[in-house]
Amino acid sequence: MFEAMTDVVPSFFAWLNQGPLTLTIFLHTIIILPMFWIYKQEKARLESES
Amino acid sequence: MAKKSVWSDNRFWQRSAAWVTGFASILLIWLTFDTSVQIAMGTDADLQNGVTKRVPGPTVINYKITYEMSTARGHEVPVIGEKELFFGRDDYSEEEAGALLHLGKLGSQTKNCMNCHTLLGNGAYYAPDLTKAWLDPAWGPEGSMQAMTGKETKEEAMAEFLQHPSTYPTHARMMPNLGITAEEAKGLVAFLKHMSSIDTNGFPRNFGKIKGAVHGK
Amino acid sequence: MASNHLTGIGSESKQLATWYFTFAIILFGAQLLFGLVAAIQYVMPGFLFELLDFSVARMIHINALVVWMVFAMFGSVYWLLPDETGIETVGIKIGKLLYWVFVAAIVVVVLVYLIVQVGPADEMSIWFIHEGREYIEAPRWADWGIVVVALGFVANLFMTGIKGKQTGIVTVLMADMLAFAGLYLAGMFFTDNISVDQYWWWWVIHLWVEATWEVFVGALAAYALITIIGAKRQVVEMWLWIEVAMLFGSGILGMGHHYFWIGTPEYWWEIGALFSALEPLPLVAMFIHVLYDWGKETGLQMAEGAEGHAIAGHTITNKPAFTWIVLNAFGNFLGAGIWGFFHTLPQVNLYTHGTQFTSAHGHLAFFGAYATILIGMMYLAIQGTNGIKVLKHTKSSIAGIWMIAGGVMGMGIALTIAGYVQVLVSRAQMGATWAGYFDGQSGMWFSQAMDWRLIMGVVTFLGFAFLIKDFLSTGKNPVHER
Repeated sequence: MFEAMTDVVPSFFAWLNQGPLTLTIFLHTIIILPMFWIYKQEKARLESES
Repeated sequence: MAKKSVWSDNRFWQRSAAWVTGFASILLIWLTFDTSVQIAMGTDADLQNGVTKRVPGPTVINYKITYEMSTARGHEVPVIGEKELFFGRDDYSEEEAGALLHLGKLGSQTKNCMNCHTLLGNGAYYAPDLTKAWLDPAWGPEGSMQAMTGKETKEEAMAEFLQHPSTYPTHARMMPNLGITAEEAKGLVAFLKHMSSIDTNGFPRNFGKIKGAVHGK
Repeated sequence: MASNHLTGIGSESKQLATWYFTFAIILFGAQLLFGLVAAIQYVMPGFLFELLDFSVARMIHINALVVWMVFAMFGSVYWLLPDETGIETVGIKIGKLLYWVFVAAIVVVVLVYLIVQVGPADEMSIWFIHEGREYIEAPRWADWGIVVVALGFVANLFMTGIKGKQTGIVTVLMADMLAFAGLYLAGMFFTDNISVDQYWWWWVIHLWVEATWEVFVGALAAYALITIIGAKRQVVEMWLWIEVAMLFGSGILGMGHHYFWIGTPEYWWEIGALFSALEPLPLVAMFIHVLYDWGKETGLQMAEGAEGHAIAGHTITNKPAFTWIVLNAFGNFLGAGIWGFFHTLPQVNLYTHGTQFTSAHGHLAFFGAYATILIGMMYLAIQGTNGIKVLKHTKSSIAGIWMIAGGVMGMGIALTIAGYVQVLVSRAQMGATWAGYFDGQSGMWFSQAMDWRLIMGVVTFLGFAFLIKDFLSTGKNPVHER
């Protein structure tokens, strides 16, 4: 699954880019995850309001 | 009162929108810093020491450029080889080469190249892509374009064409005369040669490699 | 709330909106005319050769496109602002002055494009003729003029939004228009490094049309649904926030799909591929949202009878505007979503980048996503300024819709076919050289596609004539309910 990095210049993002979709799945995940936290907060707020 | 779902709550979506937008913007800015370092132009010292840059310095015009398959990367990359004469010289200093490239880049904008041609694939589609035009076999020693202009070298042939484009039609669709002077033409050819040395991740694929098979040639 | 848009008379903001719309539609005409010149040149290369070359015609074609849309966008904001905030736009006198500055600058720029065309390779040409960078060719002096005008516009919007009622729509517009104006600064410098040049150039182009403009369209659609069919604000604004999250979430990093081949690092392949692959999702959502609200309001109307509904007796109070907005929802999804997705993956884009494929996508997306809804806003302005309760279709409005939408669709299909030829012959078979390029251009499928593109361009232009006729006459037409 992990392949040698072929980017000309090594960098943080190039390092994450080591196989099929590793980089993009990582970025998508860190964007989506905090939404769970927002969800929980809003759920608590709605429950306390009703 | 019916229990309200978070999924139909405006505040949840508003906060999510703010988070997603803000974080995506920060990532883009971070990536921009990373990329900016990588696409900064190299120097003459880099070229002499064989340091590979995605965008080499202007003195790359002193060298021979080829476009070769890299097995490690799975696509073609520009390869900078031995010294090569460019308008009779191969010892352009960093300042001289930089000035030529500056003139050429200015010319590429003021002559509106991009509204007929594509550069790095961006522009209009009315005329050929110029990304690797310097490497086009048609301008080479046995190429039809060089023969047409009656010049001895690739750079002289290109400069001649740029100054009198409608004298050398290659198709019913011709390039108009844009009042390009001899000096501007030299700058534009330097700009094209420099552009061909940029590492474009293998675009365009198979450039200039295919010589037969079509129309039974 | 639903009938606030009838208060067009007496609002200076709404008057300024009609000025913006008027100049926008003139520029729209110019865009189509110069597009026709360029289309003729594909079929007859000698047409106006060395008089008005393709490069000049195409430059005016795409610049008029961008500028008419910006004008119509400014106009749309000035139109909806009094309705949303409940007050007259703050600083409207400055807004009116800046309008004339903007118009004067555009006229000078276009005249210089036409008369001077090209200059010597120096900084003076960049400052006073054009910058030669696709879509943002405007010379540097005009760049600064645009910055001043845009800042004035954003200031008007912010002052009004802060002083008046700040609805969700106004909040989104404030954030969006600030980003929209600020991004223009990324396109205002010169560099010898063409990779750096194109990197920042995309900051303007991509973050406009695939992020900030799309969000703007979301906000306009929300406003239109509330005013035309009386949709519930709370639901509409929830959808708007979802759309903002999805549009910016995919669109900002979706920029990577422009960084595949311009010298930028390989990691952009991954970032660009998956983020931009998600870009169609919000467009699907917008389409579903419009149809959902339409169906819901019609259902309410039928269940509760004429009196129970916000707008007595009619679900749709402006038929032509609503038709254009439904067309927008569909066209955005089709032209920007489907046609964009076609060639967004790097494996495909390696061969389609820089071919007529892009052109097909450009035509369908700019029309489907932006032209449609902005024309819809113009119909709302006609309704408002003429004090019409229910604006109905006329023969001209229907002819205009069919011919413009059909014509652009025809052009898009023709260009897609031309793109296929280019991809197969020029790129895959011939390896993208000068000779390979012209082999592709000479193919029968390619040249016939170009013939069809011209024919469909003429159809679009005739449709535009019907649209203008309707704009000029429908306000006084007795068929509408007043």
